[in-house]
Amino acid sequence: MIELLPPFLVFLVGALILPMIPNGHPRSFFSLLVPIASAYLIWNLPEGVHGQIALAGWDITLLRVDKLSTIFGLIFSLAAFLSLLYAWHVRDTVQQTASLLYAGAAIGAVFAGDLISLFIFWEGTAITSVFLIWARRTEGAYHTGLRYLVIQVGSGVVLLAGVVLQYLDTGSIAFEAMTLGSPASIAIFLAFGIKCAFPLLHNWLQDAYPAATVTGTVVLSAFTTKLAIYALARGFPGTELLIYIGATMTLFPIFYAVIENDLRRVLAYSLNNQLGFMVVGIGIGTPMALNGTAAHAFAHILYKALLFMGIGAVLFRTGTAKGSELGGLYKTMPLTMIFTVIGAASISAFPLFSGFVTKSLILSASVNQGHYIVWGILLFASAGVFHHSGIKIPYFAFFAHDSGLRPKEAPWNMLLAMGLTAFFCIAIGVYPEPLYQLLPYDVDYVPYTTTHVITQLQLLFFSALAFTVLMRTGIYPPEMRSVNVDFDWTYRKLGPALVGACRYVIDTIWGGLITRTSNQLIKGFTRIQNAHGAEGALARTWPTGSMVLWIAVLLGVTLLVTYI
Amino acid sequence: MSQNETTTRATDPASLPWLGRKLLWLDNMKNVDRIVYALFIVCAVLFAADFFYHKHTYLKIEDIPGFYALYGFFMCAALVVCARAMRVILMRREDYYAPNDVESEDFPEDQLSQETIHD
Repeated sequence: MIELLPPFLVFLVGALILPMIPNGHPRSFFSLLVPIASAYLIWNLPEGVHGQIALAGWDITLLRVDKLSTIFGLIFSLAAFLSLLYAWHVRDTVQQTASLLYAGAAIGAVFAGDLISLFIFWEGTAITSVFLIWARRTEGAYHTGLRYLVIQVGSGVVLLAGVVLQYLDTGSIAFEAMTLGSPASIAIFLAFGIKCAFPLLHNWLQDAYPAATVTGTVVLSAFTTKLAIYALARGFPGTELLIYIGATMTLFPIFYAVIENDLRRVLAYSLNNQLGFMVVGIGIGTPMALNGTAAHAFAHILYKALLFMGIGAVLFRTGTAKGSELGGLYKTMPLTMIFTVIGAASISAFPLFSGFVTKSLILSASVNQGHYIVWGILLFASAGVFHHSGIKIPYFAFFAHDSGLRPKEAPWNMLLAMGLTAFFCIAIGVYPEPLYQLLPYDVDYVPYTTTHVITQLQLLFFSALAFTVLMRTGIYPPEMRSVNVDFDWTYRKLGPALVGACRYVIDTIWGGLITRTSNQLIKGFTRIQNAHGAEGALARTWPTGSMVLWIAVLLGVTLLVTYI
Repeated sequence: MSQNETTTRATDPASLPWLGRKLLWLDNMKNVDRIVYALFIVCAVLFAADFFYHKHTYLKIEDIPGFYALYGFFMCAALVVCARAMRVILMRREDYYAPNDVESEDFPEDQLSQETIHD
């Protein structure tokens, strides 16, 4: 019996009603009510397990409410609200509906108490979100969407395999903390890893997010990957392997981010890097580290959305998000510039901005647990993220050389959404206590100490110094119209090339065999034709005279043979 | 990409939004130089700060004066130099994956609102 309303139902019902409301301000207004209702519900959910239904012999748990699921449910609702406000001007029913259903599926997943309903919501996020890419309605977006869908649905299929194995092993479908080891846990881990963009499984992210619509990318940036972070934090806390996976994730995307031209793809790489910090936190698995992961996910969703909003507004006004084509926009889009800089300062973890009070929890936890090399990598990644997200994004979009573009300031709804998001980024940074209250464990951490502030400022200002020196000496790689091959080259170029090569070899061998065989058959048939065909020697009607003659010859020969 | 025809390089400051006009001093290279000098000074002060307070550290390496400053500077420089070198191997033309990729496509104009300040 369901005694409480699961929040995902609000989104489902909202998405059903939405198309019936006149397209325009009324519908946009209505869409904003849905996440507000959901946040209200989540805020008032009592802790514990609710919404259990027996379905085909399984105990399905729709509402497992604890601090971990609540904080993700709340930030997902807030992200949905902000991105729907940002998309107020969109009149595309497909995108409106998909955004609501996508947010609903993600929220459903974080409250799912069993693996079956987790699987259903998991696939739900895949199927609904792809429409935000297809909504661009170009050939390239269609293909990108297909690639995205194959990988996302693939992740769900792997998850399902894991769930089935888990059920066979333990007879339970409960979604609890697991130890990595059994085939079931490995499959589930891998499924989470695909959605979390683990190294070598990451390319769907950088491929798909820049291909979505202006507003679609903002929506996409919030849910899928953070759902995977939640799932890992729930299923595999303290799994040491995650520390090394996470450290790798923080490291390699920053190199790509430096040379990437499409600023929305730069942000996708830096999103991947930020996920790495959270994965390290899960791997360390102490209360402080898990708090760090949850807090960082919360702050990250906001500042990453803000950055995608800022660059999205630029794209909306100029038709491009490429560093090589932009520059000098601060004159005509100063508010968008300021909001983007606030997002950049937050992701860079400047004191008084949100990243500062959340990322440091993870770094401190890594030192406390003696992971010194990992700490060094995370510190490097922190400097690197400032370099490409903190400086590069605002610099190439709004400053650098004057592109000559004179776009109008972003529309009111985008400015409002960016302003609100920026407010949250600063509010969390200035006054982190309310966020700390929401975390899964009690927080015993003071972010603002003299040492922490000064060392962080040193790290950031000297990174800025490095950028300035490299820029002024011309060593900094200029923005160029280009793409950089990443691991996806293996399935976008190498794979098809190998298949093509195999096809050629098989074609040649098969064709050769066919030709040879048919040639021999033709030869054989020609011989038969020659012998037995209409004009063939054996089929001819011979005159009686010649028969008699030949018989006479035959008899003559016989006679000769007998007597000689 | 579709560059609007009304876009011009010479812009009348009066057509800029108020905040944009206030920021116009960034257009002057001399002022940019001033910002860079200010950055140098801030960096020098931050480096010097390490000698004037009790650093609360966990690791020995943190006790090196200016450790965070040096780490930030040299790691970032290394990052950029490595990334630049990676371009040699990784960079391809924009239409490398076309037509199965959005990179070389124009963004559909009907989904944009490409207004300029002159509109």
